[in-house]
Amino acid sequence: MRVRFALNGEPVELDVRADETLLTVLRRDAGILSARESCGIGVCGACTVLVDGRPTSACLLLAPLADGAEVATAEGLGPDHPVVRAFAEAHAFQCGFCTPGMIVAATALLAESPSPSDAQIRHALAGNLCRCGSYVKILEAVRRAAA
Amino acid sequence: MSRESILLGRVRYSQDRELPGMLHARVLRSPYPHARIVRVDASAVPARAVALTPDDVRGLGVYGCQIQDQTVLALDRALHAGDPVAAVAAATPDEAEDALALIEVEYEELPAVSDLEEALAGSVLVHERIRISDNDAAYFGIRPEQGTNVCHRFRILHGDFEVGLEQADVVIEETFRTPAAQHAPMEPHACLARWEGGRLELWTGTHTPFNVRSDLARVFGLAEEDVRVVVPPMGGSFGAKTFVHLEALTAALARKAGRPVRCVLPRSEEWVTNNRHPALLTVKIGATADGTLVAKRVDSWIDTGAYADCGPGVAQKIGYSAVGPYRIPHVHVESRCVYTNRPPNGAFRGFGATQAAWASERAMDLLADRLGLDPLELRLRNVLRDGDVFCTGETVRDVHFAECLERAAAAIDWGQGRSGKGLCVLLKGMQTPSRAQIAVEAADGGGYTIRCATAELGQGSRRALTLVASELLGAPLSEISFPDPDTDIVPYDTRATSSRSTYMMGNALEEAVRELRKDGRRGVGEFRNSGGLDPDTGQGVASSHWHQGAAAAEVRVDEETGLVEVVRLHAAVYAGRVVNPPGAELQNEGSMIMGLGSALFEAVSFADGQVVNANLSDYQIPSIADIPDGLTHDLLTKPGAEVHGLGETALPPVPAAIGNALGSLGIQTTELPLMPETVLAAIDRRDGGGVR
Repeated sequence: MRVRFALNGEPVELDVRADETLLTVLRRDAGILSARESCGIGVCGACTVLVDGRPTSACLLLAPLADGAEVATAEGLGPDHPVVRAFAEAHAFQCGFCTPGMIVAATALLAESPSPSDAQIRHALAGNLCRCGSYVKILEAVRRAAA
Repeated sequence: MSRESILLGRVRYSQDRELPGMLHARVLRSPYPHARIVRVDASAVPARAVALTPDDVRGLGVYGCQIQDQTVLALDRALHAGDPVAAVAAATPDEAEDALALIEVEYEELPAVSDLEEALAGSVLVHERIRISDNDAAYFGIRPEQGTNVCHRFRILHGDFEVGLEQADVVIEETFRTPAAQHAPMEPHACLARWEGGRLELWTGTHTPFNVRSDLARVFGLAEEDVRVVVPPMGGSFGAKTFVHLEALTAALARKAGRPVRCVLPRSEEWVTNNRHPALLTVKIGATADGTLVAKRVDSWIDTGAYADCGPGVAQKIGYSAVGPYRIPHVHVESRCVYTNRPPNGAFRGFGATQAAWASERAMDLLADRLGLDPLELRLRNVLRDGDVFCTGETVRDVHFAECLERAAAAIDWGQGRSGKGLCVLLKGMQTPSRAQIAVEAADGGGYTIRCATAELGQGSRRALTLVASELLGAPLSEISFPDPDTDIVPYDTRATSSRSTYMMGNALEEAVRELRKDGRRGVGEFRNSGGLDPDTGQGVASSHWHQGAAAAEVRVDEETGLVEVVRLHAAVYAGRVVNPPGAELQNEGSMIMGLGSALFEAVSFADGQVVNANLSDYQIPSIADIPDGLTHDLLTKPGAEVHGLGETALPPVPAAIGNALGSLGIQTTELPLMPETVLAAIDRRDGGGVR
């Protein structure tokens, strides 16, 4: 079936099967590799993308449900985006696998609460796992981006 | 790879690598922990998919980095639940998955060895014969006990334990357990293989490209030069991606298919591919009334699962790590690596030091308690200082264990009351002996290229080595490139493990740059460290220099629920010289956070030999919500000192520091993780076994 949505501001039209996830089609058909499968069950956040501004596990969302939505991924952010700059300045990454999802989730948090408390940051990012354990610097990066 | 590229998701890991015409692999695994494979019938698999069955790989070589015990697929017996018995390559992962369901396997269940106790009883042998590997990862004397499940026994004899024991006024004897844990790198194991003109080429996430190359050459009967291993950046590893895991199977599929094949492991299969060794350690330690250690005996057994992997190496390192960084005149250690019908266990950040420190440092606190001494005081009285002799007979230099302990203790205000507080000191060896080579080339268009086998797994080795090169060459970072390791191009290196790369490669770089200056085009440098231990006496040089650290924890316990809250956690780690400060901090913080998971909730659970929590919902790893506000650390430096690797040091002391903090409240635990039920049981023991 055909699915049409805006991907990082550009219209896309993809041919998908009804049982395919947004993550599968983004990676296979749309060249989006910043969203990554890790847990495959929506608990790790490595596949986080924004769907109409809400952080969403692309591994759980069936692709047809994205029809008509605005989908945003790390590919749509530039190096000068304030959250990206803050992550760079705070050295808030190691292997980088979880990082795009973490950054996307942080942009959604800051859009909703421009000056979040530490508790709000922790709550908002608790669904984005980083096995390298860069959390101390991730927290610092989000504080920095908020400032 | 620039920072921005990493942040914006432009890194291409092994799982993202593609080749034209590539097929996708899925693996069919035994549901039984031990079974005879009577028949594998893949005739129903459609012709457009390629099935690999035991008959396809029967003629191939046997592999294993330290013991040759692994075949490409299980041939006649499946040795653990999850052992690969067949595989399929198809146009899409879904098609491959569907084809797996069409393969019929007839099993005949066999009695299985489910834990160390059953393994040592010896009524079922996991492997009938134990053959030592010719891979250079088998770098020390391996001592299999044929006819048993013990594939390696390491011993330390220092002084005379029985004589020492007679001098002791106080003796503590206790048994400690650590469960299997899962590395859970965010990127699973992933590998892409193709055959080109009789040569095998692989793009695979591994810290050990040269060890993988020699094992694959052995499997396929090729010259080592006819195997090419390229290592893209890894999305984490923590030891999971050392030695051969998916590579042999993916390569065999690619050969049969006549096309490139990529295998990206589904998350659940990580738990049947490589875990941390469960360990059982009995510690008997004696001291005189003034708190001078006089004798220590350690009996250690680690469960290496169905395949040894680097378990013998882990057993050796547990052997001396469990003695701890102390002056003890009389030491006897027996450390064994044991086969069971469980998934294979291998390298895990800390390489045995976590299990060793849990036992050794919990025992120190029990001893301090019995002696009526401050646990810090007991440690400081006995800790190794410059010029002291370790149980291996080697004289230690540039050691800062006392300073690490003092800094950690100060960070949690040890002097202002010890209730709810605990300490742990750590000694961890670096791969000894080993050899590192690195080349520096003047690039045609200006600038320089670094060529070495050091893999990037998030630890920041490329960044650290580029910084060292920049200083040595007097060139800006932007002029130095560092391509993915490729065994066709890079010079030899033992492997990127044991926190050795920045130190070893950094030293080799100095020679490489000198040689480049002479040659103008290319310079190769080499750095070796030498030593090794006699497996029957444990005497020699365990480590050419020591990774040293300490952790201090302060906890609050909800005595109604048994929930442990870590209020403050501090690690003090000896760095010598720091090459890349933010990278060093990340390694310390990441290690501590992984240590928190091991301390509080991580354990692989089994029922009937099968893993029952093989997903990231049932097997939880720390999230940002689990991090104490008071998570701090120190990097101890000294002018002119050697660089000390920092990749692992701050993990192993964390569980014991937390366990000792519970101990200060009379909550005495011997088993990890410190789950509420374990803590409640310890509270009940303290309170006289009242029923809840």
